[in-house]
Amino acid sequence: MANDLREHTPHVQVWDAPTRLFHWAIVILVFVSWLSVDQGFMTVHLCSGLALLALLVFRIGWGLIGSTTARFRDFLHPPRTVLAYLRNGAGMYAGHNPAGGLMVIALILVLLAQAVTGLFANDGLHFSGPLALLVGDDASTRLTAVHSTIFNVILLLVWSHVVAVGFYLFVKGHNLVKAMVTGKKPHAHVPAEARITFTRSYIALLLLLLVLTAGAVAWFTIQGGAFL
Amino acid sequence: MSALAYFGGVTVATVLGLGIAMLLRPGFAHAVLQSAGLESIPISDGLSFYAVRVQPLFDAHCISCHGAAREKGGLRLDSFAGTMRGGKHGAVIAAGKAQHSELFTRITLPATDDKAMPPSGKTPMNTDDVTVIRLWIAAGASGTLPVGAIKGAPRLVTPVKMPEINPIAVRKLRAPLAGQVAELQNRLPGVIAYDSRSSADLILDASLKREAFGDADLRLLAPLRARIVEANLSFTAVTDASAPQIAAMTALRTLRLADTKTSDATIRTLASLKALRVLAVANASSATLTALREKGVRVYGDVNGE
Repeated sequence: MANDLREHTPHVQVWDAPTRLFHWAIVILVFVSWLSVDQGFMTVHLCSGLALLALLVFRIGWGLIGSTTARFRDFLHPPRTVLAYLRNGAGMYAGHNPAGGLMVIALILVLLAQAVTGLFANDGLHFSGPLALLVGDDASTRLTAVHSTIFNVILLLVWSHVVAVGFYLFVKGHNLVKAMVTGKKPHAHVPAEARITFTRSYIALLLLLLVLTAGAVAWFTIQGGAFL
Repeated sequence: MSALAYFGGVTVATVLGLGIAMLLRPGFAHAVLQSAGLESIPISDGLSFYAVRVQPLFDAHCISCHGAAREKGGLRLDSFAGTMRGGKHGAVIAAGKAQHSELFTRITLPATDDKAMPPSGKTPMNTDDVTVIRLWIAAGASGTLPVGAIKGAPRLVTPVKMPEINPIAVRKLRAPLAGQVAELQNRLPGVIAYDSRSSADLILDASLKREAFGDADLRLLAPLRARIVEANLSFTAVTDASAPQIAAMTALRTLRLADTKTSDATIRTLASLKALRVLAVANASSATLTALREKGVRVYGDVNGE
């Protein structure tokens, strides 16, 4: 039956909708965050930062309960495997390959650090992150400097990510961008034994609602608990 | 496409990207070129007009946002190099042309203008500060021009900064003797005062009481003696009977005993005062004074007839 399917459908679904939406939302939010702070639109910067934080928390949850290819255990590999993959590119993976998995973890951690330090940062004028008052002016200024430095790390990671995606496209003939848009990869690029289980999208929606609710509770608690 | 060709293309694209970024962001371009040693880093002389007159103004008004901790607009004003490098939109100083310098324009905008610097909420530069910066730019925005070379600059006024005092901590520090100090200040007006706003140390000055202040009065101050760091007993009626009282002022740093009824005997007891650094006396023996000088005490006064 599986072989029949492979013969009749040229592509196979590997990415679920929540993972793809998360990916492109992150791309947009990182760009908006940079543009807004560059142009001094700090309210927009705050909103995009908070959205980024919510999505990252969601992604961590989705990495635990999401579809097979979205789960951390699917793409987290020991360093030896990652090094071997980088050396000879051997093996075929339905979702992220070992190097890609490492990039996902690095990006999630760095973006998380960026979003969290942003909560405590200030622009020295009229804008402070929602938690800046909790740590005092000196610590807030230090975290602002960290926030600025992390942006350079993000640039480096994004550059590496784009270069790697380009390598797959131009050298190996794998269009990972298209796969991340459609969710599908050609059969030839997916191991025959791959069994992907998709978690229903409404679970993702519930998870996102849970994250947003927790965020809203935290927000209003910090702002003085007016609604409690 | 081969991997070699691809990575060659990536290298070219990266270099091109950096080139475009450097064209769009001149400040970034200067930073890159200076880091690579392809452009000299402007350095200011320590005694230049810039270092003595201009940089302190930036330190006071600008570097909280344009310094190491925060580089708003990609601009750093915490060094001559940073100032001349400019921000992400280019140079902020046009040497010789103050009116064409972005920095000068910003500091002279009305406070209500969104682009005014420092922004509202921060201490603005006063007229003298603005004049100093205008004169410096007009003279070529040099980092080496000596401080006296630019004529017409307002006189340098060094601001006096009073250290911040925590009144609660001071009250706590003074608490053990506060009641007795207050009582003795009432009984002997003008004789006892605190050494400073933040100190619990005491200064005893009975010189204006002259003969009205004697041994009995000094005995009254016995509870405070460990806190007295300066005592002026000149012209008072204290005698050698007060020697033990004075010798018990273990924190005493300065003692004035000119024109009192004390003798060499009292001066000899001072050898036990380890904190004593200054002594003004009259009619002490040279041997006694020499002994004190050997202990590091600066002694002023007459030596009696030996």
